[in-house]
Amino acid sequence: MEFTPDIGFIRKLKRNSKAPLKQCMQCGNCTVVCELSPVEYPYPRKEMQWAAWGLKDKLVTDPDIWLCHQCGDCSTYCPRGVKPADVLASLRQESIIHHAKPRWMGRLMSYPLFLPVALILPLAIIILILLLAGTLNTQVNPVNYGTFFPHAILNSTFGSLFLLTVIGMIFSIRSFWKDLKKSYPPDKAQKSFFKSFLEAIREIITHRKFNKCQTVKYRTYAHFLVFWGFVILLFVTLFAILSVIFWEYPIPLWNPIKIAGNIAFLMLFTGTSIMIFERIFNKEKAGNTVYFDWVFLIVFYLLILTGPVLEIARFTNWSGGYIWYILHLVLVWFIIIFLPYTKFAHMIYRTIAVAYLRYSGRK
Amino acid sequence: MTEKMIGIYICTGCDIGNCIDVQKLCDGVSEEYNPDVVQTRPSLCHAAGPDLIKNDIKEKDLNGVVIGACSHRFHNKTFSFDKEILTERVNLREQVAWSQEARNEDTQMLAEDLMRMGLAKIKSILNPKPYIPEDPSKNILVLGGGISGITAAIEGAKAGYEIILIEKEDMLGGWSNNLFKQIPLEPPFQEPQERIISEKILELQGNKNIHSFLSTNIEKISGEPGNFKVLLSKSGEQTSLKAGAIVLATGWKPYDANKLTHLSYNSSQDIITNIEFEKMANDGNIRIPSSGKDPKSVVFIQCAGSRDKGHLPYCSNYCCGTSLKQAKYLLNIFPETNVYIIYKDIRTPGHYEEFYKHLQNEERLFLTKGDVREINVNGGLEVDFQSDLFREEIRIDADLVVLAMGMTPSNSEDLNLAYRKGKGLPELKYSFPDSHFICFPYESRRTGIHAAGTARAPMDIPSSMEDAGGAMLKAIQCVEATGRGESVHPRSGDQSWPELYMQRCTDCKRCTEECPFGSYDETESGTPLPNPARCRRCGICLGACPERIINFSNFSINSVSEMIRAVHVPDEFEEKPRILAFVCENDAYPAFDMAGLKRLKYSSFVRIIPVRCIGSINKVWISDALSQGFDGIIQIGCKPGDDYQCHYIHGSELTEKRGENIQETLDKMMLESERIKTVFLEINEYDKIPDIINDYVEEIELVGMNPFKGM
Amino acid sequence: MRNPILVIGGGISGITTAIEIAEVGHEVVLVEKLPYLGGKVIKFHEYFPKLCPPYCGLEINFKRIRENPRIKYFTSSTIEKISGDKGDYQAVIRHEAQMVNNNCTACGACVDVCPVERENEYNYGLDKTKAIYLPHELAFPFKFTIDENACKKQACSKCVEVCDYNAIHLNAIPATTDLKVSSLVFATGWEPYDANKLEILGFGKHPDIITNVMFERFTAPNGPTGGKLLRPSNGETPQNVIFVQCAGSRDENHLPYCSAVCCSASLKHALKVREKNPEAKARIFYIDLRVTGRNEDFLNKVKEDEGIELIKGKAGKIEIENNEIYVIAEDIASGRRLKTKADLVVLATGIVPSAVESIENGTEGFLDQLQNGYIASGCAKRPMDVSASLKDATAAALKAIQL
Repeated sequence: MEFTPDIGFIRKLKRNSKAPLKQCMQCGNCTVVCELSPVEYPYPRKEMQWAAWGLKDKLVTDPDIWLCHQCGDCSTYCPRGVKPADVLASLRQESIIHHAKPRWMGRLMSYPLFLPVALILPLAIIILILLLAGTLNTQVNPVNYGTFFPHAILNSTFGSLFLLTVIGMIFSIRSFWKDLKKSYPPDKAQKSFFKSFLEAIREIITHRKFNKCQTVKYRTYAHFLVFWGFVILLFVTLFAILSVIFWEYPIPLWNPIKIAGNIAFLMLFTGTSIMIFERIFNKEKAGNTVYFDWVFLIVFYLLILTGPVLEIARFTNWSGGYIWYILHLVLVWFIIIFLPYTKFAHMIYRTIAVAYLRYSGRK
Repeated sequence: MTEKMIGIYICTGCDIGNCIDVQKLCDGVSEEYNPDVVQTRPSLCHAAGPDLIKNDIKEKDLNGVVIGACSHRFHNKTFSFDKEILTERVNLREQVAWSQEARNEDTQMLAEDLMRMGLAKIKSILNPKPYIPEDPSKNILVLGGGISGITAAIEGAKAGYEIILIEKEDMLGGWSNNLFKQIPLEPPFQEPQERIISEKILELQGNKNIHSFLSTNIEKISGEPGNFKVLLSKSGEQTSLKAGAIVLATGWKPYDANKLTHLSYNSSQDIITNIEFEKMANDGNIRIPSSGKDPKSVVFIQCAGSRDKGHLPYCSNYCCGTSLKQAKYLLNIFPETNVYIIYKDIRTPGHYEEFYKHLQNEERLFLTKGDVREINVNGGLEVDFQSDLFREEIRIDADLVVLAMGMTPSNSEDLNLAYRKGKGLPELKYSFPDSHFICFPYESRRTGIHAAGTARAPMDIPSSMEDAGGAMLKAIQCVEATGRGESVHPRSGDQSWPELYMQRCTDCKRCTEECPFGSYDETESGTPLPNPARCRRCGICLGACPERIINFSNFSINSVSEMIRAVHVPDEFEEKPRILAFVCENDAYPAFDMAGLKRLKYSSFVRIIPVRCIGSINKVWISDALSQGFDGIIQIGCKPGDDYQCHYIHGSELTEKRGENIQETLDKMMLESERIKTVFLEINEYDKIPDIINDYVEEIELVGMNPFKGM
Repeated sequence: MRNPILVIGGGISGITTAIEIAEVGHEVVLVEKLPYLGGKVIKFHEYFPKLCPPYCGLEINFKRIRENPRIKYFTSSTIEKISGDKGDYQAVIRHEAQMVNNNCTACGACVDVCPVERENEYNYGLDKTKAIYLPHELAFPFKFTIDENACKKQACSKCVEVCDYNAIHLNAIPATTDLKVSSLVFATGWEPYDANKLEILGFGKHPDIITNVMFERFTAPNGPTGGKLLRPSNGETPQNVIFVQCAGSRDENHLPYCSAVCCSASLKHALKVREKNPEAKARIFYIDLRVTGRNEDFLNKVKEDEGIELIKGKAGKIEIENNEIYVIAEDIASGRRLKTKADLVVLATGIVPSAVESIENGTEGFLDQLQNGYIASGCAKRPMDVSASLKDATAAALKAIQL
């Protein structure tokens, strides 16, 4: 293997992770204290060596960075203070960009300068659609988002855009899959990928592995809340769509689904609040937070916050709700449509990586 | 010789009085030796005891005192009287009261024998009269004008000694002159620091007590500490001077890179040594030698020749730090150049770790553990290595490769000693001259000549500077001790020295050959020429001499023979064998004391004679003992071999070699070979003593009594 | 005549500095806080790489002290105050209450009647002695001492009754000595890093997790087991011994520097494991093997032993499950994260400089940048092995005698 260090990549990693990663002395302590690292070819010691040498190709195609839940044990105990957790986090950003289809989308989404575009573009498109639909009237009373943005148009617009996202994601997954197979050929595969996938899902929904983290316990709980809040809300949304088609809409407040939705909000709100709080006030343990993290976290947080505003506006018949609704849709766009290009993509890569680890027979 | 007036003082404390019949002991020995005073005291070591002895010395004109009490290793100062008074301690506590059955006939016999041995010894020894070379010089000769030699000279001069510094080159500084910079020694340990040599040279030149001779070689050194006659030559012109002691600081040479064929040193001018690289840096001209261009990719290969059984089996200590420093030069000068260091282990002990850590942060410095397989030379350089950290074969394209060469010591024969045992210092291993490198790093096998710096062991500049101070101190100590007529370590302060009765010498050369310290020179015909100031008083020559002509005033063939003869050997029918134990006073004797302290019991048939080293045991004592009726002789000394513990290098090893001669003695007397036994005992193995002694007594009982008994 | 030179610390460095000065011909005062000389090395079983007992060299040194009229030593004494400037210092030495005086003959009668026990400092608390005790077999000075904290004093007085030599005075009080000295040498030495701070390595959670200095006592004939290497938990012979290198050293969370001696020490210990039980396996987990100079031979000797494995990768975590010890490490060369069961774990804890009050410290508490003409000797200055300490101690002696 001929090695050519990529100095630019080292600089970028250092900048993003704020970790003195070159200082690694290759003791392997990080691998040891990591509760999630596999027995065979464990991480993150090897990643740290590649990082110190600027071996970009190896790193961005390395599936192991996705096994990491960034609990920070490795950083806490690192004898050299090189913060492997933060390095891996930066690498995951690079991996998302690397696998993004089209890749320029990934790259753009990681530039802070692109943020206004990423928000104004959806806003413009939504307003354009509303203008075309002729429903752009914020004075309609009582407040009814369904007439403001007719469900059929909403579902078809967002649906088709989401389809594009899914197609992009499929290509991303394909390239990720290739990396997986190249890195760890599934020679010893004992079971089908599907079975492994189910196991992985079980592991993820229980946060069983995540729970092993020692340094930042709160992260597990916060993520657990966010994860389940999101899942519940996903079902609530599905139900809402069905409800629009088959039953009544808006769903009454006493409906269990509505109640579940509100509980999910509380979960999401609490979880995300903890995450943001910890990232601001407990930097040492939470690890380094860069734009890539902030933009996702804050947009997600705003998205969550706009939910009850809409709900309250509807019940209080406050016409300002329409503006919030547009804002809400812009944020939904950012989170859902841009999923493969933001930190949200971790959901996909990590699930596949965890499933593949089981599938490949690697211990 | 004035007649000996002897007093016997026996302590009854610490169970001695309970164990043996002290009155009977006093009566028994008095009858035989007629001492002038016999006294017993319940605790002799307390104020009244020493005062009593002092009083008797004064009132009754005693000149010899035999004290039967605890081991001589305790209360030395309590029982030390005027210098003229001979004092002999008989160990009735550790060897009798604490290790034998109380109120037992055999124990009583042991105690009586020990007292007799003490008395016999004191009657046959004299207080030593120190040997001091005529008009001893206190000047110190420093050989080598590198950082070690310069530091030694400065530090010695600061202590008030005149220093003569000899350098064969025409300028001072040695290897340090080629240095661009040095590894930082102070926080924050980030940038290489200015080399220290320049200020040291200035300091040296400003010191009036240091006399430097450049372009000068040593033609010859003869004599002994306090009186080394040094013949210098400078471009054919000879000068002679006198020095009291010598510091050898002749430095090192890099290992021959041509021998490293797998690293292709010969095949490309772009593969250079770290010495060549340092020179380029110092000249301000770091270039790719073949093209003259700036290097873009430089690989440092650590342990080039070091830690390699085919080349230098040891670690050269300086190379890891040096390569890090040299990498830093490159990174400072060429910010676009990639620098790689391939190591086996990064060895940056102590605070060097800080330097290592700081350097790691260099963006373009790449370190990894790896074994370099080969360097392909075809246009550029391809360095192939297997890396454990990457777990794969790696190839790096380089335009410059720097080999971190190991260190070999300079040849100590530059000393040109006119010694019978050779021109230089004896080597311990891999050409490095030292001996007890753990406990006594400056112990030299050529008394008064101390190696310092890289001439002694592979080390870097700060270590060399410390080492120079240490070696200089030992040189100063040697001239001071010689001036007082005393030995240096390990028998520091000993004023006895070997005197030879030359009329009976047969020029057999045994003494000149076996002296571990090269004390003896030789005439052409082979007659030994002793140099007592070189002597370390181990007595190995005394043990070696078949003609028994080498004696110390207080340790002689006669004194030990008298002790042997003083033992009452029961006749064969009493079935009480007698075992004579020659015990090394350095390690085995303290071990017997510790066995006593632990109240470990062993056979009371053994009679212990401490010796300076088991190498000092003369064959005649063995035949004396056997003729006297001793049934077995056991010699207990320190461990020989590669990791020898003998304080006199090969004293205990010699005992093994001399075994053949002793076998001859046994054969002549038609005695069984079991009657002589050698045991090597470590000082902390006191727990083994009962088994060693008791097993041997059993073995001898099986062999049967010595037929010479009572003859 | 110049004032005497004061050497603070009676470990191997201080002893050496003092003796070397005295043998040049100067007066020396040696002060040691413990009741005996020999510091840390006197508790070692053997030195690397020769595997020879420290008692051997120390006995020679004690003899040199015994026989040299120019050395004065005070044990159980500390420095209360230092003042003055280069070449002309004043020191106040505080002597702890001398409850056993120099009349003591070490006969041992007192031990039998003493009813109180204390943790044996000499054996790192691995066993007990009576409150009145002889520190160890080669104790210098060779006399008993009383642990002031354990002794019941006048309430008991049994030892006083049996002592035939009027050596015990339970009401003794501390005293001080004022001294004018011409040079000051700090040979204050080191302490092993506090293993209790290495929680992740399980120290204190299982009796079979010990430190390297404790291991020395387990192989020494005068140790708590009489030289038998046994598991503290059940007294059985260990079959799988794991050595954890850099336990605290080379670690920003603990000691950022390399302690320089632990690699060679663990090699020595691994050989002892094999010597004591040829069936046993020893594994050493390391970051870099720092066995410098000619000690490479020693490393090669260890490598030749089939029962010893040297594994690159730090053993960073120790887990205890069902009372069994598991050591976790990345075996970097084979690319595996190992979880290995061990029945004895030895933490290679590093060197921490002993705290010296009132002195401007240098790097990490080491006395490497002393002012005011003060001189440092041995491990007080930098982590070093015995050989290097003695080299430094001898060089310090030269500094001390300079005009």
